[in-house]
Amino acid sequence: MMPIWTKSGKKHAVTLLKVQDCHVLRYISKEESGGKTAKLLVGGKNVSPFSKPESAHQIFKEVGVPRKQKVATFNVTDDAIIKPGTPLYAAHFRPGQFVDVTAKTIGKGFQGVMKRWGFKGQPASHGQTKTHRRPGAISTNKASKVYRGKKMPGKMGNVYRTTLGLKVWRINTKHDIIYVNGCVPGHTNCLVKVKDSKLPTCKEHNKNPPFPTFFADGDEKLPEDLFDKEIFQFTDPSVTY
Amino acid sequence: RVGGDGKPEKFQPPPKPVIIDRQKQRTERRFLSPEFIPPRGRTDPLKYYMERKDMIQRRKVFNIPEFYVGSVLAVTTADPYANNKANRFVGICIQRGGRGLGATFVLRNVIEDQGVEICYELYSPRIQAIEVLKLEKRLDDNLMYLRDALPEYSTFDVDMKPVSRLDHEEVPVNKLQVRMKPKPWSKRWERPKFNIKGIKFELPESKMKEAQKWSQPWLEFDMLREYDTSKIEEKIWKEVNEELKK
Repeated sequence: MMPIWTKSGKKHAVTLLKVQDCHVLRYISKEESGGKTAKLLVGGKNVSPFSKPESAHQIFKEVGVPRKQKVATFNVTDDAIIKPGTPLYAAHFRPGQFVDVTAKTIGKGFQGVMKRWGFKGQPASHGQTKTHRRPGAISTNKASKVYRGKKMPGKMGNVYRTTLGLKVWRINTKHDIIYVNGCVPGHTNCLVKVKDSKLPTCKEHNKNPPFPTFFADGDEKLPEDLFDKEIFQFTDPSVTY
Repeated sequence: RVGGDGKPEKFQPPPKPVIIDRQKQRTERRFLSPEFIPPRGRTDPLKYYMERKDMIQRRKVFNIPEFYVGSVLAVTTADPYANNKANRFVGICIQRGGRGLGATFVLRNVIEDQGVEICYELYSPRIQAIEVLKLEKRLDDNLMYLRDALPEYSTFDVDMKPVSRLDHEEVPVNKLQVRMKPKPWSKRWERPKFNIKGIKFELPESKMKEAQKWSQPWLEFDMLREYDTSKIEEKIWKEVNEELKK
């Protein structure tokens, strides 16, 4: 995470996400998948092929791409279908867009009820016998059972969670880095799925993306760094009022 | 001696020899600002490279001078609510924290009997100018104990003139031992964990001996805590210098 300043002098914290060897792996049509839209399988980060059996390499061999560490599904409309095998770059997103980021949260292991669910526990003194971090009562007398889904101690973290509506401040096309506002689930260097935001307030900001994606061998030549309008770029002199 | 027109000439003393110490001038001081050194961790070095590029870009436009903890600085920031839209603060640097773009330094001064500490971000665009009024080092890296020292050690004149010094001289170390206010202090500065050299402890011997009970003499031999930054510093120094010269 890094600080970023706007032209008015305000500071925002920003997470750097690197787009590392992303390729489209397969196209699944609407009828085949049984859902409402067609799906595209996208794979990230290259990894050695020797730790998995040959059967797992089928998808990657069809496309002619080394084995990827993570494969994610994206629901796409019919006009946004991309041919399997095309590489995807950070320039697929533009500064000013809003983005949802999904990843597995940091695993905390088996945790008690106070850390996992935020229960208040019991006081430290005034006669409490061996009860300081326990859940207390778990149900009522009339129910005479414990309801399903009761908040109890258990394994915490290591679950997929999404942060919605994160603004993209800056894109670096040379190293394929996306600078995204705020924090993102997951530990450092973990794999993350980045989608266009589903929030209704962000619809008009996501109006003109590169469609269906940014093609590196196309005609468009982008500068090394793309900045949002509001960002203070370090080539400018200091901010004055 | 008889001169050209026959009269005895006045004695001309020989010209004073000018000693140019070439060895001193050759070993130029290498100063790498501490926020360039990446912390120990599992982050991708690419992230620090991107931050360094931004830091160098800012340094090309705005001059961030060399300073240490214990030097007196004057910082002018842009302030929308001040008279001239600018705000000047003079103080002694008591702490330099943070790495990368978020590097900060805390300046302390006593104005009208009220101690004031302001934490500035080195790379914030609101800073208009940083002047070093007095460049010197102190015996410690962290002068937080000035909060519990007598106020005379933290007062600096707001209209102080910059102290002139030669470029190639070594940075002077001020071996000042500071006198403290009576206890209680905000932190127990006599304890070995702070390792403070710059306080003149006027505590009784028994208290000093009791403080040594909290010493952890095994820490300096702990190999897992070692972080040798010499090679990293050299590489980064070369990279930063090349970029700045461009």
